[in-house]
Parts: sequence; structure tokens; C-alpha cells
Amino acid sequence: MVLIVAFSAVIPLMTVVNYSVQDILDFNTRFFVGFDWYRETLNDPRFIDAFWRQIGFSLTVIAIEIPLGIMVAKGIPKASRYTPLILILLALPLLIPWNVVATIWQMFARPDIGLLGVSINALGIDYNYTASPIQAWLTIVAMDVWHWTSLVALLSFAGLSAIPGPFYQAAELDGAGKWQVFRLIELPRLRGVLVIAVLLRLMDSFMIYTEPFVLTGGGPGNATTFLSQYLTTMAVGQFDLGPAAAFSVIYFLFILLFCWLFYTSVISRDET
Amino acid sequence: MAQITLEDVSFRYPGATEDTLYGLDLQIENGEAHALLGASGAGKTTMLNLLSGLLSPTSGRLLFDGNDVSDLPGRERNVAQVFQFPVLYDSLTVAENLAFPLRTRGVATDMIDGQVAYICSELSLGKIRDTKPPSLSLFEKQLLAVGKALVRPDVSLVLLDEPLTAVEPKIKWKLRQTLLKVQKDLGVTMIYVTHDQTEALTFAERVSVLSAGGILQTGTPTEIYQSPANEFIGHFVGSPGMNFLPCSAVPSTTGDRIGFRPEWAALVDEGHVDGTVTRVRVYSTQDSKAHGLVTLMTPHGEVFVRGNAEFETGMKASVRIDRCVTFQGGNRVAEIAHV
Amino acid sequence: MLALANLRLNAGCSEGFSHTFLSGQITVVLGANNAGKTDMCRFITGLSTPARGEILLDGEDVSSMSPQQRSVSLVYQAFVNYPNLTVLENIESPLRAHSAPAAARLTQASDIAAKLQLTELLHRLPHELSGGQQQRVAIARALAKDARVLLLDEPLVNLDFKLREALENELRELLTASNTIVIYTSSDPRDAFTLGDQLLLLDNGRKLQSGSPVDVYRNPNCLRSMELLADPFVNRFLGDGSECAIRPEHVRVDDKDHSQASITFEMQVTAFETSGDESFIHGQVADHDWIARCQGMKEITVGSKLALHVREQDIVRF
Repeated sequence: MVLIVAFSAVIPLMTVVNYSVQDILDFNTRFFVGFDWYRETLNDPRFIDAFWRQIGFSLTVIAIEIPLGIMVAKGIPKASRYTPLILILLALPLLIPWNVVATIWQMFARPDIGLLGVSINALGIDYNYTASPIQAWLTIVAMDVWHWTSLVALLSFAGLSAIPGPFYQAAELDGAGKWQVFRLIELPRLRGVLVIAVLLRLMDSFMIYTEPFVLTGGGPGNATTFLSQYLTTMAVGQFDLGPAAAFSVIYFLFILLFCWLFYTSVISRDET
Repeated sequence: MAQITLEDVSFRYPGATEDTLYGLDLQIENGEAHALLGASGAGKTTMLNLLSGLLSPTSGRLLFDGNDVSDLPGRERNVAQVFQFPVLYDSLTVAENLAFPLRTRGVATDMIDGQVAYICSELSLGKIRDTKPPSLSLFEKQLLAVGKALVRPDVSLVLLDEPLTAVEPKIKWKLRQTLLKVQKDLGVTMIYVTHDQTEALTFAERVSVLSAGGILQTGTPTEIYQSPANEFIGHFVGSPGMNFLPCSAVPSTTGDRIGFRPEWAALVDEGHVDGTVTRVRVYSTQDSKAHGLVTLMTPHGEVFVRGNAEFETGMKASVRIDRCVTFQGGNRVAEIAHV
Repeated sequence: MLALANLRLNAGCSEGFSHTFLSGQITVVLGANNAGKTDMCRFITGLSTPARGEILLDGEDVSSMSPQQRSVSLVYQAFVNYPNLTVLENIESPLRAHSAPAAARLTQASDIAAKLQLTELLHRLPHELSGGQQQRVAIARALAKDARVLLLDEPLVNLDFKLREALENELRELLTASNTIVIYTSSDPRDAFTLGDQLLLLDNGRKLQSGSPVDVYRNPNCLRSMELLADPFVNRFLGDGSECAIRPEHVRVDDKDHSQASITFEMQVTAFETSGDESFIHGQVADHDWIARCQGMKEITVGSKLALHVREQDIVRF
């Protein structure tokens, strides 16, 4: 077990760290440059732009997917004949390969032949996601919400199903309204499940690559170029291994930082 | 507080072939402490749910103070319930939990404060007023659940669904005592549902014994214990239940069988029925002598006698029955206080 | 014979305890909720490893063996059965694990099922059964394993009153029939008398006392030992400068026999309850909470003063 982790994670990681502190011209010509690449990357304006775009994107999708997922979960009947069917239908978007998701949306949103594109244009709104940065953003966010809300919904449904009947009964006898039931009974008990959901969405959305790349190619211009795409361009397109490696390490540390911050804030609340 | 009446109430779950409860007739007085005693599957939970409004009777009527509430939803019946485990709002403090049922009904703030203070002092919750449930012990949590059920001064009925289940055995009596005291102080109509006959007999002014969807007998604990209406109750109530012997074993009795409780008999040299001791369970000492339950195997089956336990398995002994109840066809015929 | 040597139940214990369980006997392990009963069960089965200590079964050190290698079976509080196997298949499962031939398996399983009155339910699934029936299946499965040690961790606590009573009777006969070492944990002192040949008292991970239930009842070595066997609690008072205690059942309301030396107390009655064969009188005696337990259904008024008599020989002094 330890050997597998070593080969699949530790060694590649150490290799990247190794590259990040060297200037590599070709395999045999390397110079140790210390933290130069790190300094350069952190001061690179395009990196900073991509970073803030990324933060904006992650926060936006989480802000939409979590409440929406909970609402969907609340709408699923707990013990009906149709429940298994509904759960399967909800799970479908999660099973589609990510580039297929992007391709579906690419066609769906096309202003000339896509159902969404044509419908919006028919309403009088001038919609062309390849031309307008705002519309590109909206389309990408819509795609991500379509793709991942089911995850939150399924997790929340599991959490809600675990709430024993007496809690609802007592609330009914207390005269509690629907919002009070949600705030005082369901939300506290969904906390564990929501922590997992937010953590997963945070990490995944921060690493998002395939969907925006296929849908908009990062455009128009740089409007939807997120961190991972910029990194790939640097590493694979420009073949700057040194800076790319440094970038990777920084990227990795950011994700680790977010997860750690989130985790500790939840654990400390759990202990009070 | 209200008078609760069940008029020929029956209930059948949708899709079931038989009634779960059939033809229940029961009247519980205003301010009465009433217990519903029955084994699992007897229909206690269904009856509880009919009273709380979770279910509506399939036929018959349910009346609170003469008003038909059969189809009224739970929130409009003014009923409160205490469950087997503490059902509380974990994000609210003790005081906020208590205030909640009053706040949802728009009661004035100063009245709410007064009621909360009253309940806190009745149940000695004052010290933990500002604590939240996750920091409380199970006993304190269940106590809070009881307080929450009693906080509304106009509550018609408080239902208790085996409320001592989660509490540690050693502390059960404390919660029992509190319930008794608070019921008497507030004069609230309480219906206590349980499978534990100790809980039922110690708590209630009257007990209804439920079996297979019907009420077998309603009476005071003394009546239920000392003159059970039929053999089932004689066996079900009491630990262990009544011993049954054919009437022929005890002359001067008429009927099919006689039932006598383990403490209504003694083991002597010459009694009514002879047997061999098969088991001795010592529970305490009286005058330094072993005291407990002796199992005697007689020609008519096992007999349990409570009292002097200075016996060994294999010894011969005889049962002298001092008091018994006679049954015919399973139903009580007569009580014989001195045999 | 199962021997526990220097067993430390949790990291907070400064000293371990040792105890020997004998074959063909039921040992009731009595303790409050967090006394360490379940931990001890888990150590004996091998589901967890103690901070320190050895476990020897018939002289062999099994401390480092996995649960599968040990000859121990465990019945839980929750009714644990394989949900997708029938009752018969559940009972056969430990026999299957030891590769017994099919015909022998069937006979053995059927015999055990008959002992627990499960014969008519052999082809049902666990979820179709009542709580009591499910627990009987769990016990049958544990018996089928025919292990050297059978552990029952408060197995009847989730069952109905009357069902518990019935099973207690059956269990006692079933468990003493074989030469198994039976360990039954409980927090209810009645179980000690109903089921136990031997008693082991645990408190906060420490062993307080052991012996036959009657011996421990008559001669508690400390106040806590006395409290663990008292239902609901022990009455305390100060007598001749030392801490004295008296059991609720030894407090008499009427004392007709004056030949025995006794002390009289006065109680201010605060509450009274009766359960048919017994009555409990709660009150205050010299600033202590007291409870008197008497036979029969008495008539006592709350708020009255009551004279209580206690025999000298029943007083325990510490």
C-alpha cells in the first residue's frame, strides 16, 4: 500500500518540486535557480488575473450549487415508488465524461443551432458566448451547475433521510413553520454532509480544466482562462518546465490551504 | 388540560388486511395521569399517533373536551409529545427550546419569560438555562424535552412515548419522580405509553392494558395488579406474572383455573401443591436469610414463589396459596383474599 | 478458563486488573455506562487491543491473535444478523466458515434453532422478525460457533419487559448447558442475581470486586460496590462517626420483631410509588435522600413523617 502511494504520488511530486527550482533548457542542461521561478510566477500579471478569475468562479458555483442542491434534495420524496428512479436520473449528469459535458453544452449553447442559444436569441437577447465575456462566464457557470448540483442534491438527500421522524413530528406539534424546520432541524443535521459537498466542489472547481477549455478555449480573449488552463499552456505549450513546475507547486499549495482552512474551521465548530 | 375520549375508534393502515386497532372505547379525565401498557405490536404506537394527530381514525371519533378532533392536524390539537430519545433543537439554548412552542403561537414575550422561568424552577433547569443541548447529559436533555412539552399553559394533552428508554437504569427513578411531581403540580392530562409495567404502575392513576389492538382492562394500578380481568393481564403484569393452576388443586375454588402471584404464596412442608425446587434466585437478604424467587416444578407445571429462598435445587417443597383469583374460560370469576 | 492479566482498559487507568473466568459458569460483569464493559468485550474478542495486559485462553496467550483466530463469539446489544440470509443460513454461517459438511451443518443448526424456539422461522429473513426473535437468531448464531468464550454485551436491553423476562429464563438454561465460558455484561443489578454464577464489578475501568452475587451483596468491599448492586441507590448516614450505608430493601416500615437490635430513623416522605409487588418510599432522613423498598402495595401519604427501622446486622460500615 505504501509503495503504491509512493509511486503514484510522492515520487512525481518530488520530481515537480525538483524541477521547480531549476532552469531546464534540455534534459542535460540545468541550472539551480532557487526560488526565482516562484518569485516570477507570483508576480506574473497573467497568473494573478487567472487566480482571481478562478476564485471568482469557484465561489460563484459553490454559492449556487449548495443552496440549489439542498432545495432539489428537499423536493425528492423520501419513500415513494419513484424515489430510486429520481435518484438515478439525478446521478446521470455526474456520470458523463467531462469533455462530453462540455461538448454537449458547446452545441447546446450555439447561437445558430443550439437549443439554448436559439431560444435566448429568440427572446430578443443577443446571445453569443464566444463573443461576450459575461455571456461566456454565465454559460460556463450554468454548465457547471448543471453538471454538479446533483452531487450536492444526492449528498443532501442522504443527510435528510437520516433525520429521524420524531424531529419532524415534534416540530409539527410545536407549530413550527417550514423555514424554522429547515433552519433548526435540517440545516444543523446536514452540516456534516455539506462540509463534504463544499470541500469536494471547492477542490474540483479550483482544478477545473476540461469544460472551460472545450467550451470557450479560455476565451473570448482571457475571459475564461482559469488557473489550470494557464498552467497547461505554460508547461505543455511553451515547454517552460521550470516556471510550470513552480506554478504547479503553488497551485497545489493553494488547494491544500483552502482545504485546511475549511477543515479546521469546521472541526473547531464541532468541538464547541 | 382536557378530557380525552375515544369513541369506538378503529384504525387500519392503508393496504393492510386487518385493523391495527379496533373498537377502542376509553375516557381519560381532565388532569389524569394515564398509562397505556402493552407489548410491542399491541398497537400502542398507533394509538399514540392517533392522539397526536399523525394519523386519523379509520372509524370512530376522538374527542378533546367533547370537541371532535379526529381530523384535526397535530399543530391544531394543542398536544405535546415526549419521545423515546430527547428531541430538541440543538442550536437553541435550553431557555430558547422551552420558549419555542410559545413563540410559534405568538404568545407575548413577558408571558413567555414567565412560563419559561416557571418550568425551569419546576424541573430544576435553572442552572443550565443558557446551555445548548449538545453539552447536556441524557437525563438533562430528556428533562428539557419534558419541560418543552409542558411549557404551554393551555396544552390539552401530553403524550409520553416510553420516555425513560434512553436514560440510564440508575437514574430512571429520578425522571419518573420528576414526571409524577410535575404532573400533580400542573394538573396536566398525561398519557404514558410503555411496555414496562413497573413504569406504568408507578406513574399512573389508571392503567389501560392493550393487547392485539384492543383494550383488555382499564383500572387503577391496584385493580390491574390484584384483580386482573383475564389471564393474559394476570400473566403480563407482574414480574414474573401470575402462576396458574387448575382449580382442582385448591379446594373451595370454582372455575377453570386459579391464578396467584408469587408473593401470594409460601413454600411450606404441607401445602396445596407439591413439587421439586428447580431454581433459586436470591435477590436480597431479610434477617440475614436469603430472599428471592424460587422456581418449583409441580405436576401442573412451573410455579414461582417469592419469599424465603433458603432452598437448594432438588429439594422437595409444597406451595401454600394464601390469596388467588379464579378464572373461567380465561376471564376472571372471583377474587379470594384468604384461601 | 479465560484469564485477564494486568488488563488496562483505557489509557487513563494507572493500574491494570486481573480476573479469571471459569468454564461452565456465567459471569455477570456489572458496571455503569462508561465503566469499561464494552471495552473489555472488545479486547477479549480481539476487535481492539488494550493499552496493556494479556489475555490467556486455556493457558494460551491470545493477546496478539486476530478475532478470527480466537475461539470467541459476541452477541451485541443491537440485533446483528446478516440481513440477506435466512434465519437458517444465519445460524449456519459460523459452521460454514469452518467448512463443516452440509448435512452436519443442517442438523446442528436445526438443533440450536429448536433450543431457541426458532424452528418455525428458519426460512424467514431477519427484517421480517420481531426484535426478540432477531436477538434469538443472533444468540443462536453465537452458540453455533461453539466457541470457548461466549460474550453477551447487554443483549436484552433493547427488548420489551416481558420478552426480556422470558429470554432471561431460557438463556440461563441454554448457557450453562455447555462447558463454555459465558460473560454477560449489564448495568442492571437484577441481572447479576437472575443470571450470574459469578459477579465482576467494574467502575471507570477498574475492577472493584468479584465473587458470587450473594457474597458481593452481603460483603461489599467499598461504597461503590454496594451502590452498583443497589436498586436504585444506597441510603447513607453518619453513625458513630463513620460512613454507614443501608440497602433500600433493608429499611423496614413496620418492625414487629423487636428481638433484633435495630436503629430507628424518621423520614419526611416526599414521594411514593408502587409497582404491584413492591413499593418505594422516597424521603429525607437527616438531610440525606433515602428510599425504602417494601413488599406489597402500601398506603403512604406524601408529606407525612414515617418511622423507619434498620437492623444492626444489615448496616454496612466503611
